Amino acid sequence: MKFILQLAMKNLSRYKRRTIITSVAIAFGLMMFIIVDSILRGAQVESVRNLRWYETASLRIYDSNYWEEHYFLPLESSIKQPDKVMDIVKAEGLTATERTTFAADMILYSKDFGEDGNMSVKITAIDPSTDFDVYRYPDTLIDGRFLEPGENDGIVIGSWFAEDIGAKVGYWVTFITQGNGGFYEAFDMQIVGIVNCPNPNVNRTLIMMDKSAADSYLGMDGAVTSIDIVLDEKANLNQSAADLQAKLDQAGLSNLQVLTWRDLAQDYIAMVEAKQGGSSMILFLVFIIAAVGVSNTMLMAMYERMRELGMMRAMGMRDRDILFSFLFEAGGIGMIGATVGIALGCLVNIYLVNSGINVGFMFRDMDIGFRIQSIMRGAWSLPTILKAFFSGILLSMVVALFPIRRALKLDIPTCLHHQ
Amino acid sequence: MSKKILTLLFALILLILPSTLFAITAEEIVKSMDALATYDTSYSTGSIQTTDRFGTKESTFKAWTKGTSESLIEFTSTAERGQKILRTKGSLYLYYPDAEELIRLQGAALRQSVLGSDLSYEDMTEEKTTLNDYTVTLDGSEVYNGHDCYILTLTAKTRQVAYPIQKVWVDKETYVTWKGEYSTSQGRLLKNMEVLSVMQVADRTIPKETKIDDAMKQDSSTMMTFDTLQINVSLDANLFSLENLTW
Repeated sequence: MKFILQLAMKNLSRYKRRTIITSVAIAFGLMMFIIVDSILRGAQVESVRNLRWYETASLRIYDSNYWEEHYFLPLESSIKQPDKVMDIVKAEGLTATERTTFAADMILYSKDFGEDGNMSVKITAIDPSTDFDVYRYPDTLIDGRFLEPGENDGIVIGSWFAEDIGAKVGYWVTFITQGNGGFYEAFDMQIVGIVNCPNPNVNRTLIMMDKSAADSYLGMDGAVTSIDIVLDEKANLNQSAADLQAKLDQAGLSNLQVLTWRDLAQDYIAMVEAKQGGSSMILFLVFIIAAVGVSNTMLMAMYERMRELGMMRAMGMRDRDILFSFLFEAGGIGMIGATVGIALGCLVNIYLVNSGINVGFMFRDMDIGFRIQSIMRGAWSLPTILKAFFSGILLSMVVALFPIRRALKLDIPTCLHHQ
Repeated sequence: MSKKILTLLFALILLILPSTLFAITAEEIVKSMDALATYDTSYSTGSIQTTDRFGTKESTFKAWTKGTSESLIEFTSTAERGQKILRTKGSLYLYYPDAEELIRLQGAALRQSVLGSDLSYEDMTEEKTTLNDYTVTLDGSEVYNGHDCYILTLTAKTRQVAYPIQKVWVDKETYVTWKGEYSTSQGRLLKNMEVLSVMQVADRTIPKETKIDDAMKQDSSTMMTFDTLQINVSLDANLFSLENLTW
C-alpha cells in the first residue's frame, strides 16, 4: 500500500500542469461553495437579528383574538390591563414595552410635499421611556430627534419611507383613522425625526408616535395592542414563552397569548424555508461544476496514460493496485484543490464577515424577504468548511472511479497499442 | 282693564300654542328620516361614479335590503362583475368571484374605500337606527337649494359609530336629507354629502343622485345614483346568508 501511495504522489508531481488545472477547478468550486453558504447563512443571521431588534422583539403578548385578525390591526382585541401584564413580565425578570399598532390614512399636503395625496399606513404608538429597552432604535436616528413621552403631535418615520414621500423633519401630515369602537378620528402630526432602520421592511413603512397620544385619539382607555419583550440572544425562546404563558394563566389572564418572533415572522420563516431548497440547488450546481471538471480531467489522464497502464499490467501489477493508485492520485488532486479552495474561501469570507457587500442599491426597491437593508455580511460555519474539505477529496475519488474501471476492462494489448 | 289684559293674554296663548303643541321634536325628525330610508325589503339598481385626479370611473350595482341591518350589494359592471358586499347584523363580508374568496371585514378595514370611491364599506351598508347611537338637537331652519329644511346636529352616544358628529339638513315636508356634514368629535369635517335629485317611490321621496366628497382628499368626489328602486318586494329567505354570497 505504501508503494501505491508513493506512486500516486509521484504521479501527482510528474503531471504538474494537469494536477494544477484540476486542483484549480476543485478549488474554485469549493471556494464558491463556502462563499455562497456564508452569504446565505449571514443573511439569515442578520435577518433574524434585525427582526428581533426592530420588528418583532423576542416575544409578544396579544389578546388571544388579536392574532387571528392581525392583518386588520383590530383595536377591539387589545390588552385591557397592560399594567398588570407588565408587572407579571417584570416579576419574571424580563424587559418589556407597551405598543399600540393601528391603521390609518395619511394625508399629505402640497404646502410641504409639493402635491396633495393620501395613502394607507400602519402607525406604531410606542412608549418612548421603555421602547428603547426592547428595540434598538437609538443608533438609527439620522435627522431630527426621537419622540418625547407624552408628545401629542410628533411622529418619527423611516428614512426610506421619508425618501419615497419626499418628507423632511418639520413637515406636517394628517392621519384619519378609526378609534376603538369604530369612530373616525383625524389628527395633525409633525415629523420630528427620521430613522434609518437596518430592517428594510420597517424602514420602508415605519411611522412611530407616542402611545399616550394614540390612547387619547383612539379612545383606548389605557389598553394597548401588544406588549413586546426582549430576551437574551441565547435564551430558550419556546421555554420562555411557555413559562410566561403559564404565569399569565395563573394570574387569570388566559385571554392573552404569548407568541415568539418565529410565530410573528411567519412570512420570513416561510421565505427562508422556500429559499432553503433554492440554496441547496445552487450548492449542488457548484458541486456538479467541480465534479464535471475533475471527471473530465481524470478521463483525459486515463487515456493519456493508457499505454503506461497496459505496461504496468503486463509487468504483473494487479488491477486492484492500479485502481487504488489512480484513486489516491485523484484524492490527492482533490485534497490540494480542497485545501486551496478552503483557504481562498476563508480569505474571501474574512472580508465578507467583517465588511460585507453593499447590496443597498438592489434591496432599495425590491423586497426579497431578507431583513437586510444594505450590507450583506457572511457568517462562519466550521461544518461547511469541513464538509467542503472532505467532499472535495471524496468527490474527486468517486468521479475518477468510472474512467479507471473502464480502462481496466480493456485487455493489455489494446492498452499498449492505445494512441 | 283686567278684561283687556285677560283678552290679550288669551290671544297671546292662542298664538304661541300651535308652535308649542304641534312643534316637531328633533327625535321625531330623525325617526321620520330613518323611516324614509328603511324598508321592510327593497331591491334597487344604480351606479357609483368616482371622480379623482386620474379621471372618472363608473361601477354599476344591484342591491337588496331587509329591515335596518341586512343588505347585499352585487356589482354588475364588467371590471367588478360578481363582487358582493353582504352586511348582516354586526358583520360585513366581501366576496370576490375570481378568487372565490370570502373576506370578513372588521375594524379599520371597514374604512377602506369601496372601489376607490369616497364611500367606505361602512357608509354603504350603514344601519339606519340613528336614535340608538346619537343624541340629536334641532339647531334651527334654513332654506337649502330651495328646500325648507330643519338643521339637526347628531352627536354620537357611543364609540361604535363612524361619525361622532353629523350635521344634516332635512326637508320639512319630505324628510329627505338634502345635505350632510360628517365630522370627528373635535368637529373636523371628514365628509360632505349632498342630494342632487330625488324620485318618488310609492308615497316616499327617495334620493336619486347623491354626491359625496371626502373633505380630507382634494379633487375627489363620488356620485351615487339609483336608477330603479322597488320597495316591499318579496325576497328569498336565504338571500342574506353566506351560502348565497358564494354562489
